[in-house]
Parts: sequence; C-alpha cells; structure tokens
Amino acid sequence: MAKADSGEKGGGLPVVDIFLGSLIALICGLDRVAALQLMVSRPIVAAPLVGWLLGQPEVGLQVGLLVELLWLSRLPVGAVIPPDDTQVSIAATVLAIGLATTTGFQGIGFVLLCLLVAIPFGKCGQFFDRYARTCNGGSLRRADSALAAGNFAVAEHQHLLGLCRFAVAALATYLAIILGGGLLVPLLAPILLSGLERSAGWLQVALPLVGVAVILGTINVSRALTLFAASFGMAFLLMWLV
Amino acid sequence: MSIVLTRIDTRLIHGQVLEAWVPYVHADCIVVANEAVTNSPLKKMMMEASVPTRIRVEIGSVDDVSELFASGSLNACKVLLLFATTKDALAAHRKGLLFSRLNLGNLHAGEGKQRLSCTLYLNPEDISNLADLEGEGVTVSARCIPADSDRPWRKLIPGRKGEACP
Amino acid sequence: MPLSRFVLFRVWLRLFLLQGSWNFERLQGLGFFFALFPALQKLHGEDRLVTACQQHAGYFNTHPYLAPMVAGAVLKLETDRQQGLDPAVDIQDFKDMVAAPYAAIGDALFWGGLRPLAAGFALLFAVKGIVLAPLIFLVSYNFLPLCFRTLGFIHGYRAGLQSLEFLQRHHLPDWAIRIKEAAVVLLGGLSAFLVYLQCQGQAVPKGFGFLAIPVVILLGLCARRGTSTLLLVLLTAAAVVCACLFGVDPTGWM
Repeated sequence: MAKADSGEKGGGLPVVDIFLGSLIALICGLDRVAALQLMVSRPIVAAPLVGWLLGQPEVGLQVGLLVELLWLSRLPVGAVIPPDDTQVSIAATVLAIGLATTTGFQGIGFVLLCLLVAIPFGKCGQFFDRYARTCNGGSLRRADSALAAGNFAVAEHQHLLGLCRFAVAALATYLAIILGGGLLVPLLAPILLSGLERSAGWLQVALPLVGVAVILGTINVSRALTLFAASFGMAFLLMWLV
Repeated sequence: MSIVLTRIDTRLIHGQVLEAWVPYVHADCIVVANEAVTNSPLKKMMMEASVPTRIRVEIGSVDDVSELFASGSLNACKVLLLFATTKDALAAHRKGLLFSRLNLGNLHAGEGKQRLSCTLYLNPEDISNLADLEGEGVTVSARCIPADSDRPWRKLIPGRKGEACP
Repeated sequence: MPLSRFVLFRVWLRLFLLQGSWNFERLQGLGFFFALFPALQKLHGEDRLVTACQQHAGYFNTHPYLAPMVAGAVLKLETDRQQGLDPAVDIQDFKDMVAAPYAAIGDALFWGGLRPLAAGFALLFAVKGIVLAPLIFLVSYNFLPLCFRTLGFIHGYRAGLQSLEFLQRHHLPDWAIRIKEAAVVLLGGLSAFLVYLQCQGQAVPKGFGFLAIPVVILLGLCARRGTSTLLLVLLTAAAVVCACLFGVDPTGWM
C-alpha cells in the first residue's frame, strides 16, 4: 500500500539503480539479436537478474512472470523485429524497486503500475533496433571496400562495430523507458495506485492469460484452442478435486 | 480455386511463411512457382523437407503451376502461392492463374534497386511488372508478417526523401 | 591439409556473434564472413583469399542455431576444393540452398516450439515463487540449442554435403509441431494453476475458474484476427481494474 510520508527525496530514481540496470540491459540486449542467443534476454531471466542485483529478486520474478508470455509468440524470423520485452521487463523492475525507495510507494500494485507504464514503450525498442540495423548497412559497404582492398582486419572490425550499435540501441531503449516511466509513474501513482492495488491479484492472472491467448491465437498448431481448453479443464479439475 | 495468399518472397519457403502466414491464413497447401528450384532436385528436396508433412507442397515452374491450378486438383485446398520475382507473378497471372491480391514480403537488395522498405528493394523492371499487375486488377500491398499493417506499395515508392522505413 | 582443431574452435566461437552486424541488405552476410575468416585465412593463399571472403560476405540468412551446421559443411567443401577434390556442388549454391530451409526449421523448432515449452515449464516454478525459475528456464531451454550448435558444427564439418540428410531423416518440422502441441498443453496447465491459486487466495468459488477458458479463447480469437498484444493487454487491464473498482462480484451471479 502507498505510504504517504517518506518523500524526503522527492521523485527521481537512484542513479546506482539506473546504472546497475543498464549493465543488465546491455548484456541482455545484446543476447536478443547480436550475440549468443542463450535467451538470457527473456523477461523470465532478465527481470529476476536485475531484481537480484538490486536486492529484491522477488520483484523481478513477478515482472518476469507477467511479461514473459506477452510477446513470446512474436518470433524474430528473418527481418522481423518484435517489441523489446527484454528492456521492458528490465526497466519495469528498476522502476519498481528504485522508485519505491524514493517515493515510498510499495507493494504489488506499484509493481503493476510500473509494468503497465513500461509495456507500451516496447515499441520504441523496435524503432531503435531497426535504426541500428539500418546503420549496419553502412558498415557493410565499408567492409565491402575493405575486402576489395584486401584489408581483412578492417572488415572484421566493421562487423564488431555492428555489435556496438546493437548495444547502443539496447541502452537507448532502456533509458527511454526509464525516462518515460520515471516521469509518468509518479504522476499516475496517486490516481491509479488504489485501483491497481485492489485488483492486483486478478491482474496478475490476467496478464499471463493474455500472453497465453496470444500464443494460442498465433501458434502453428491445428486445434490449439481445443487442446488448451482440454488441458486447462483437466488440470483445474484435478487441483480442485484432489 | 482457393488461393488464400499470394506472396512474392525471394527466399520462398522460410520462417515467416511457415510460422506466421500459414497459421494466419490456415493454409494447408503451399505452391511454389520457381524455375530454379524446380530444376535442382537437391533444392527441391531441401525445400520440401522444411515443411511439416501435414502441409502439401507443390513445386514447379510457372507453366507447371498454372496447369496444376487449371486442372482443378487444388480446388479443395487452401493454397498459399509463392513467387520469387515479380516477373514470375506477372507471367503466372497472364497465363490465367488469377489472384486478386498480391503480398510483397521480401525482395532482396541488389545493384540498381530502390529501397521501398526495410525488406523490399525493387528495380525499375519490378516496378513496371507490379504496375502491370495492378492494371490487370490485382491489389498489391506490402506486409512482411501478419502482425505488420498492410501498406499499399505505391505509397512506399521513394520520392519523398527521408521517409523512415515502417 | 585439413583444418586444425584450434581454428575450428575459433570459428565455432565466432559463430556466437553471427548476427552482430545484422543488416537489411545482406542479413547475416558479414557475420558469416567474420565467423569463417580464421579458417579461410588458413585454407586460401593470398590470391584466392579476397574472392573467397567476398563470396562469404554475400547475402546469407539462416537460424543462428543451425548456422554452425552450414558453416561446418561449407568449411568441409572449401577444404575439399583446396585439396583439389571436385566438390559435388558449388559452395555458393550450397549456401543458397540450405539457408532458407534451415531457417524455417530452426524458427519452427526453437523459436516457435522449444521457447514456449521451456517458458511454460519455468513459469510453473515462478508462480510458486521459486527464485531459481530463471535458471530452470535457461537449463531446460539451452540444452538442445547448444547440442545443435556444437554437434551440428562437428557433423557439418565431417559430413559436408551429406549433412543435408540429417534434416531429411529426422523430419524436424514434424518434431516442431509435436513440441508446440506439448507447449500448448503445458500452457493450459499453467493457466489452470494460476487461476486456481487466485481463486483459492480470494476465496472465490472454484467453479468460477472455468470462466477463464472462454475468456482466453475470446482473446485468442482476437489475437488471431490481428489485434495487437499491446491493445489486448491495456484493454484487459482496464477491464479488470474497472470490474474490481465498481465492485463487480462474480460470486453473486452463481
């Protein structure tokens, strides 16, 4: 529940939190496309990681649980760029933990508020990512002329420069969400927090269910909805009766 | 005849087609009209092997495919029709393989090609082919995957400078 | 002279950075050159090195987990050619031929199948509040991709052109569908678990939980028709908050 007193520091996020978050944002952001693909970038990993670094892994786990399924069905196939759920989950966790210490708002309702504010910013991740990839086209042309001249080290260097662009894009997305969230969350908190607090339990169910629904709607399985209904009914009955 | 999607994609069958479009349009048959793949048994085998067995795959030249459609054996299927080039699409349409909408997916970059969007690069010949198709009553639009919005291709032709890609 | 293990290992490591300079003109092209470069340098003399590098920096795109298999096979073909053996297929043709089918298979198997399955599995633990859930996700997800990346590379280098048979023999696209079906069933169980815990916590009659099925189906149909996820999330959240604020009491309807 929101604590009224405490606001001795006013709004604002602790710089340390932002910095620690940006480290994870960098590593996980690169994992998305540019390097490794070990799926450290999934919200279920990235958000608890930040939470753990900031001392509250359970907040990160909450965020990861809520975001993980939402855009899971948007596959990065070919030139398609899905919304940046990595940075959404990292930034939402940083906001929820950082703003709680400075503004005094706390609780699951506040985590949900930070998350709901952060989610629409996932779109700006697509923008930055696309920009990085467009700039990589310039690298390609420089690499081409370097290769033609037999200058292999330069060509290799151009490839690595692409990694830097993806890193910058990830950080830009992260900072955009932090900035937008840092401004919006303290404004919206007095209005929305009591409502969110009261509906927190149902929201925590609703968000993953939306994610499941989107997956079912777009997955390449015939009769996905039937399978889902059968499995849900079966599992639910078992838990109810046993 | 039941074509649920006609698409131009240099890569023909790949992830976007199988993972995004097939469930979206509920296709149960993929027809590929491409000369190069038809003439190479290895390419043909690879392409067939990348599709789940419950989806029927037909690969042939533009002539073969037109005949296949004319024979009526695909009438009961929901067909996803793929071309690699605008030339093939125009040739097929002129041979009587009538489709009313044409989706532009990926057309690769190359020498002398104009950039329409992140994934579409057209040369003057492509543009005149598409214009001809449009003249014959086909609605041409660009859409990489179903989650993107459908954009009429003419609006994408550069001219106005500095237009961001989608 | 075949490539030394050290060079192969360097190529394998560099394949993890395959998409580092992903661009809209040639997609993974430059990355593929970057990965193969240590080997190309060993194989080709000064005269052929430039053309070989330019060739491999051309258009290329496949799934990052299956790229090692392609890279291995390409290196085998390059080695054969260097030793004067006549390769059965042109190297560029080989790359063109396998890229799109491998991409399709990888997308279906890993992005479309394994990822939802592993996520659903790990979320079951996350719902229980087990902090190790991320680790469970990473381990259960990464086992198969790492196998494909490592063994695929070795297999590709040993078998060369014959590595294609692997794909035909195992019907991977059908496996992808099986994994996806398993993922759907698991997600059903996960949803039931979430809803059950919530009903228990709020002392709502359990039968009420079955209403989640039509709700999810409705949302799923919206998603299938192309409604954006963002819109669905915000609308659902607004609906839930309003319902709670205006004191809609579903237990009263039963």
